[in-house]
Amino acid sequence: MGRPLINTLRIALHLLIIRPLLRLLFGVNVVGRENLDGVDRFIMAANHNSHLDIFLLLSALPPGKTAKTHPVAARDYFEKPAWLFGIVQFLLRPIWVDRNNSGLAAIKEMQRRLDDGCSIIIFPEGTRGQAGELQDFRGGVGLIARQNPDIPVVPVYLEGPERAFPKDAAFPLPLWNHITIGPPQLIRGKSREITSALYRHLKTLADEEQAYRQRRQPEPHRPFVAAVIGIDGSGKSTLSRRVIGCFKGESCFVGDGLELFTNGEPHDAQPLTINEVRKWMGRQAKSAKNLARYKMRKLAELLLRDRLLSEVERWYRPDHIFMDGSPLLNMTAWAMLFHEEFFNAEVCSKALDILSGKDDRLKKDPIFEQFPELKALRKLNLNHLHLPDAVIFLDVDPEVSMQRIASRGEAVQAHENTEKLTKLRAAYHLVCDVLEQSRPVCRLSGDKSLEQLTQEAAAFIKKVGSGVDETD
Amino acid sequence: MLDAEPSIYSLIVLVLLSVAQAVSLVSKGRLATPASLPVLWGLFLALAVSEWISFIAALWILAIISFCALREYLSLVDIRLEDRWGILFSYFSIPFMFYLIQIDWYGFFIVAIPVYAFLLMPVCVALGGRSRGIVFSVGALDFGLFFYVSCMGHLCYLAFFSERIAMLMIATVAAADLIHRALRNRPRALRVPLQVVVACVLFTGLAEWSAIPLNHSFALGIIIPLLVCLGRFTLKQIEDDLGIRADRLQPGRGRTIDALKSYLFIAPIVFHYLRWFLKWGAL
Repeated sequence: MGRPLINTLRIALHLLIIRPLLRLLFGVNVVGRENLDGVDRFIMAANHNSHLDIFLLLSALPPGKTAKTHPVAARDYFEKPAWLFGIVQFLLRPIWVDRNNSGLAAIKEMQRRLDDGCSIIIFPEGTRGQAGELQDFRGGVGLIARQNPDIPVVPVYLEGPERAFPKDAAFPLPLWNHITIGPPQLIRGKSREITSALYRHLKTLADEEQAYRQRRQPEPHRPFVAAVIGIDGSGKSTLSRRVIGCFKGESCFVGDGLELFTNGEPHDAQPLTINEVRKWMGRQAKSAKNLARYKMRKLAELLLRDRLLSEVERWYRPDHIFMDGSPLLNMTAWAMLFHEEFFNAEVCSKALDILSGKDDRLKKDPIFEQFPELKALRKLNLNHLHLPDAVIFLDVDPEVSMQRIASRGEAVQAHENTEKLTKLRAAYHLVCDVLEQSRPVCRLSGDKSLEQLTQEAAAFIKKVGSGVDETD
Repeated sequence: MLDAEPSIYSLIVLVLLSVAQAVSLVSKGRLATPASLPVLWGLFLALAVSEWISFIAALWILAIISFCALREYLSLVDIRLEDRWGILFSYFSIPFMFYLIQIDWYGFFIVAIPVYAFLLMPVCVALGGRSRGIVFSVGALDFGLFFYVSCMGHLCYLAFFSERIAMLMIATVAAADLIHRALRNRPRALRVPLQVVVACVLFTGLAEWSAIPLNHSFALGIIIPLLVCLGRFTLKQIEDDLGIRADRLQPGRGRTIDALKSYLFIAPIVFHYLRWFLKWGAL
């Protein structure tokens, strides 16, 4: 018998206190209010970032609908303390969902309220998400919408509460809130389809809202790039993968394939187109019959690999990148195979400078006559290759590595014989000598056990990496 | 303070603006009125209240306008989660500033924002505990405090000295804005001289009423339109970065700060011009 009185009190509280308070203190701007005209019952689906959300949504409704609209709320969150539960129960009369148990009871309750002629407000994200980001939707909204194909679903996007009163904030701040009420949707189909259609609607609203926001420059993120170099068959990739296992955070391995690791555990990643192109080019190089053919294909593969490094930094944003070889260093060392007669420390140092785009002063240098490839690369503006932050040289006897290559059972590549590999090994030593003047270099002897190598390499990277962090 | 008796002009303008505002409300946007109308109405309401009722009431109306402008600015600027204490501080500086005007403590009023707020606000921001991005946060909050609190305070102090000169200044700026809007597609070489002529006519014609000597009226009539032009050029770029667009001036999306920009840019200059040349502060 006290029911009507309590109802009147509730409506008065909403219309006379909460609504003016929200408008005066926070500022509420409702866009698309006309979308609710003539809609009797509805299921309102909104993004959820703040405790203000529900009050903002109720304040955007026509006054007559305030008391006949009920939110869906998580019981476990509001259950304690008792006074909070009492206030929420009195103000909002929510449909309680028990997140620990099945949601069927809540679905039944929603259905009952809809049958009573009430409307419901549901936050399909399930919980308050990260500020300004739309999380994946839970299935409940799809289920209830499928059961009631004649009740429209109204997508609503809230912008502002994530700044006015974010999730972890101690106090709310007076900042504007914008409520965009989308057109009511009558979506038919399976509940999963309804949910994903609704997600797309809300995403569109979100993108429109976000389009003109002021944004600061994203925080720069520079991963630590370590390259493991060595002759073919020295076990570079095996070592790299083992070393990644020793590191926390996101790591990426760029070898023949592209592998992502979180805290040392491999996981899937969105494939990058450039990696597919590079793999194809790598296969072409491997199937080359002689060194001359091998050269151009390998060069293309190395350039693509360097480009891939930028793409990995941009899209995956890892903390560490481990590379099986380094395009810059490989290219320099490979010059040895083709122009052995000119190759010495000075030339090697110049070549590194030119290829990493450091030295533009070297305009007319004999080096361009000796290595026409350098000239071509510079003309094509392909001389800005990545110089890794740290280099690990895995020094293995060519005889041993030849045995390993043979045991792989793959077709032997054009350069894979003891003579060429010996030359290459000498070239890598020379490159390391030059590099040691500017970068940390670690030479590991390949006759140690894999365990020992991993430990030494990881210790080296940790030592060097922490130094890099400090100087940054 | 300087005005002998309340003038009827403020009431006439207020009534005209109220009618326009009412028409725009009743027609629900079918009759297009400028987006800057509510702000202009608010300013004239404050000035009329100041003349006919009490300056203290007008002062707090201007404080509310200042709060609305700062709130809108802070809603648009990209703030970090860690800046919340700094923002809270910025809001609390508004009543403090306007209280200083109420008790007419000019010495403290003039240094409150550039000295105390600019030193204490970074402390509050630093309490957030994250250094990354703090320079931009402090810079953004500094601009908000200076422009929407300090400059608004100058406007209020100007009204404290003389409602008539404040009214004249607002009317001149509004006229300059109107000419700018009407002749948007004409060259600037035509617009600016026209604005100068209108401002000079307003100031010199009303020199007796505003109690400013004729030569200073003339000077102000030249300075104000030129500075409005400069202010619009400057604030246009800031508004661009904040994502304010002329075609979507909704409440909370730049309607208030877009309407206020010219008045706030001019107010400190006119105020200090009068203080310096007419020795108003010595009164």
